[in-house]
Amino acid sequence: MTTSVSRPPSSGLAAGLAKVGAIFRRDVIVALSYPGNFALAWLGIVIEVVVAWYISRLIPPSRSFDPTGVVAVGFFQYLAVNQAFVRFQTAALNSFAESIRDAQLTGTLEIVLSTPTQLPTLILSSAVWSFTYTILQTAVYLAIAVAFGLDLSHVNYLTTAVFLILTVGAVSPLGVLAASLAMVIKKTGPVEFLSTASASLFGGVYLPLNRLPVALQAIGWLLPITHALNGFRAAAAGIPLSGVASDAIWLVVASLILMPVSLWIFAKSVGRARVDGTLSMY
Amino acid sequence: MTDAMLTVEHVDKSFPVAHGLGAMFRTLAWQQIPRRQVLFDVNLRVARGELFGLLGPNGAGKSTLVKLLATLTVPDRGRMTLDGIDVEREPIKAKSRIGLCTGDERSFYFRLTARQNMEFFGALMGLSGKFLQKRIDECVELVDLREHLDTRFGGFSSGMRVRLTMARALLADPAIMFLDEPTRAVDPVHATELRALIRRDLVERAGKTVILATNLLDEAWELCDRVAVVNHGRIVAMGPPRELDVELGAVVRYRVTVDEVDEEMLHRTRDVPGFRDLRVVRTEKGVDLHVEMEPRDGGLGALMRAVSWNGTTLRDFRPIEAGPLDIFRKVTLDDDNER
Repeated sequence: MTTSVSRPPSSGLAAGLAKVGAIFRRDVIVALSYPGNFALAWLGIVIEVVVAWYISRLIPPSRSFDPTGVVAVGFFQYLAVNQAFVRFQTAALNSFAESIRDAQLTGTLEIVLSTPTQLPTLILSSAVWSFTYTILQTAVYLAIAVAFGLDLSHVNYLTTAVFLILTVGAVSPLGVLAASLAMVIKKTGPVEFLSTASASLFGGVYLPLNRLPVALQAIGWLLPITHALNGFRAAAAGIPLSGVASDAIWLVVASLILMPVSLWIFAKSVGRARVDGTLSMY
Repeated sequence: MTDAMLTVEHVDKSFPVAHGLGAMFRTLAWQQIPRRQVLFDVNLRVARGELFGLLGPNGAGKSTLVKLLATLTVPDRGRMTLDGIDVEREPIKAKSRIGLCTGDERSFYFRLTARQNMEFFGALMGLSGKFLQKRIDECVELVDLREHLDTRFGGFSSGMRVRLTMARALLADPAIMFLDEPTRAVDPVHATELRALIRRDLVERAGKTVILATNLLDEAWELCDRVAVVNHGRIVAMGPPRELDVELGAVVRYRVTVDEVDEEMLHRTRDVPGFRDLRVVRTEKGVDLHVEMEPRDGGLGALMRAVSWNGTTLRDFRPIEAGPLDIFRKVTLDDDNER
């Protein structure tokens, strides 16, 4: 029962990273094992860009679409950046919850939870592949959109990179909360609906927030995706980080507050499922 | 038994009868959700290196007890320790001592190969690199799956899946193993090999503590140092199988060979105090009466009188040793009758 090769340490940073890597690798293998689904997802991006381009032709340029509000820019410039980056919220809200849901359905949740792995490691790692995939999809979306006329010649890469990190940090807690709900109610449908509806209506994906009634603007202001999209549109327009500092700070504060709260709620939901004996139910 | 590997003290467990969104709203509204109690004041003490069986009918509470010990559910009351570690207070530490073989063949990723599955679970157990690869090779070899290591798990038969579950439980070389029906769906040859692996390799050679939950009486009797019979959430009998045989003396069986039988003889046999069952088998030597009865004073004499009442010649008479099934029937039926 013993081997001649020495056993590596089973705790610490290296072991933690090995677990993250194992979860990432599992998700990559599973995703690539459905080649048809994988290919269709990329085709969907092309269609999304084309639809956005056609809709944009119906709407005249407006200063509302410009991050600075100074010059009139085309709707495609506004919509394409939003559609490209709103994926991060969709990815966050879906991937964590789907990871839990898949584990319930495949019967792996109990055995995974029986390993000496911390809950934050398990839940946060479950979206690493999803965010990686989303970065690739976003890049492809933008590349296709450029072919259709999106102007990215002034991009501020530092602002983009910072907002990429902040967006992942701020929307991930929402995904963890969604996963908590999936742990209890065994469904992800309500989460998916809320993610799409909230981003579309209040997050300013399809129309600028300042065109909404004040009450709805307030709701939009509370959503991380609103500030994230503000940052990405600014980055696309070449605005430096200092120009969108308030949005960046909002995302940092939201991350710092929401992340521990969401992890605490997730731990509570797992605890509840353990008490009720529903870990393996679906 | 001072060196306890596992202790369970006064453990109760219940589950709510309603789940999901409705139950969540009821909880938020401070409404009490009715619960169904599945374990009642369970007490156990398992020694280091012991192979301990949990035996009971379906729904008796065996799997719930295993899940409690594997930290997958929590007790309403009571305390459990593994290797001196409080399971509730230090679950991560406790988990690092555990190897869990659930018998649930769904507990793998169907799109991954056996090797990829083992690499994934091995990493979560804290193993990596060459050590992990070596352990995977060793463990799949033990369950005779080496040739199938690069086959997708979805292509495995039920028996192969269960065997891979056993290999996974062995990966981290745990001090204590929880095996929940480890030979379920496994063909007889591999089931025999798995039993030998459990008894000979894990317990006798490696000195592991094994908790075996099973419905298979003969398996428990053959393998276990001690057995606890669980019924309706209570431990109704506990001890080494051979001692249970003697102490409980559940039923006695006799084979009586006579020349011929008639209705009156059979009627008188059925009237013997403590009579339970009678089977008549005609053979070349005569007629065998397989009689099952409760061990009562005077019972044997009454049986002798019944079968020889009209001068029938008794050709042979043999007591048949009580088996696990008799013990199991006895303790579960007695418990049911007391309810």
